[in-house]
Amino acid sequence: MQTKQTWRVIDTGLRRAAENMALNKTLLEGHQQGITPHTLRFLQFKPSALLGFHQSAEQELRIDYCAEQGIDIQRRITGGGAIYFDETQIGWELYLDKQTLGTADMSKIARRICEAAARGISTLGVDARYRPRNDIEVDGRKISGTGGAFDGDSILYQGTLLVDFDVERMLRVLRIPAEKLSDKAIASARERVANLKDLLGAVPDMVRVKQSISQAFAEEFGVVFEAGELNEQEQALYGESLAEIDTPEWVYQHNRPANETAVLENIVKSEGGLMRVAVSVDQARQRIKQIWITGDFFVNPRRMVADLEAALKDTPIAEMAENVHRFFDHYPVEMLLLRREDFITAITGALDGEREAAGTA
Amino acid sequence: MGTVRGCDIPEDLSYNVENNVWARREDDGTVTIGMTAYAAALAGQIVSYTPKKVGKSVKKDKSCATVESGKWVGPAKSPVAGEVVAINDAVSANPGLINEDPYGEGWLVKIQPSDWDADSAGLVSGADAISAFEAKMEADGFDGCS
Repeated sequence: MQTKQTWRVIDTGLRRAAENMALNKTLLEGHQQGITPHTLRFLQFKPSALLGFHQSAEQELRIDYCAEQGIDIQRRITGGGAIYFDETQIGWELYLDKQTLGTADMSKIARRICEAAARGISTLGVDARYRPRNDIEVDGRKISGTGGAFDGDSILYQGTLLVDFDVERMLRVLRIPAEKLSDKAIASARERVANLKDLLGAVPDMVRVKQSISQAFAEEFGVVFEAGELNEQEQALYGESLAEIDTPEWVYQHNRPANETAVLENIVKSEGGLMRVAVSVDQARQRIKQIWITGDFFVNPRRMVADLEAALKDTPIAEMAENVHRFFDHYPVEMLLLRREDFITAITGALDGEREAAGTA
Repeated sequence: MGTVRGCDIPEDLSYNVENNVWARREDDGTVTIGMTAYAAALAGQIVSYTPKKVGKSVKKDKSCATVESGKWVGPAKSPVAGEVVAINDAVSANPGLINEDPYGEGWLVKIQPSDWDADSAGLVSGADAISAFEAKMEADGFDGCS
């Protein structure tokens, strides 16, 4: 029998966001330089608001609320959107290279890692699945968000896992329209995310959660994991990385005015019912950043709405209608007196309508 | 124009194949730098672009711009050392230009090279570039540009 390769697993425990981000930079650079072996890391955060690498704090976060609440603001080295992260979530991340993964296609790499992570999460007793491009969901509700960074052949791919989660706090940290903080809107947001505690009826043992994930990656890659620590060279790099990242210059490097992104809203009554849409738009790039759809219309499965929202992320405005059609062409759904065109009409109305700056509501 | 597995690889440009970037010496002595069609295909739809600032110096094979696609963030590595003299406002406004026109409107930065002759000696073009990209795509397990 062929001997399996041994990869390192490290658990860096509960840390400040700056330390966790500095470790991301350290281990990715270290991997690229050949001083970091293939590694799985587990991590946890003191309450933090984490921006995607290209995001602006002013545009994405309620900075005052974070300051009042003692929530750290940090910038990831990976892509994607802003998230709220605290002790009730576990982070997992892999440091590998494209050669080991057998492909340089970034979407294939994301899929392979997410599918393995979903299998690991499922062994805890939930039905977790990968939802392209970067989510892991349970019955349409997001339980893990992911993102990556690369440098040369080395890659870092990381995800969250919601063990227990305070949805309302997340909504207050992120810069979304104030009316989204109504009880109804919070309930609607709660419908879109899942956590292990709610699904399993109790907070699972964290050791078991980590074991389930590492076991799934071990099987996917045909390796065994051995617990380790940062080596001396990594420790030295970490000092340098922290000095760079634990600074306002790093956190606020991509400042763009808050009014460059707008949240546009619209309410449409059709035969199928009342539909309310809110569209967050990057006006400089003429792109839909995110979309929220609520209403009293009937669709089955209910998760279709969350899947449509996910499918429309980062869509150029000019391609919105086409993307909605493409989504429905491949999505089996039952709708009562509601047509796909109603979604297009509602979104178009929001995009064409009166523009309201984000966060002023 | 040369193509490899459906990806355009213009034969008149100079490439660092490993870093998947191209360089073109302009008449004014500056060097225009960009990602290859192959690099753009691997990345998928590019949604963000942050170049180094004008006036900053860039080392050979170090980042001259950071791009994001499908939640992946990574550097584009300059094939030559020098100083950034121009960044691409059209790509800032529409990063998808990198996918649509990687050798034209989708360029990343222009650099005043510090030693073009030395740095360009390590770059490949023409038939050598075509065969080097074929070998890279084979190693990367790449099906082809669609």
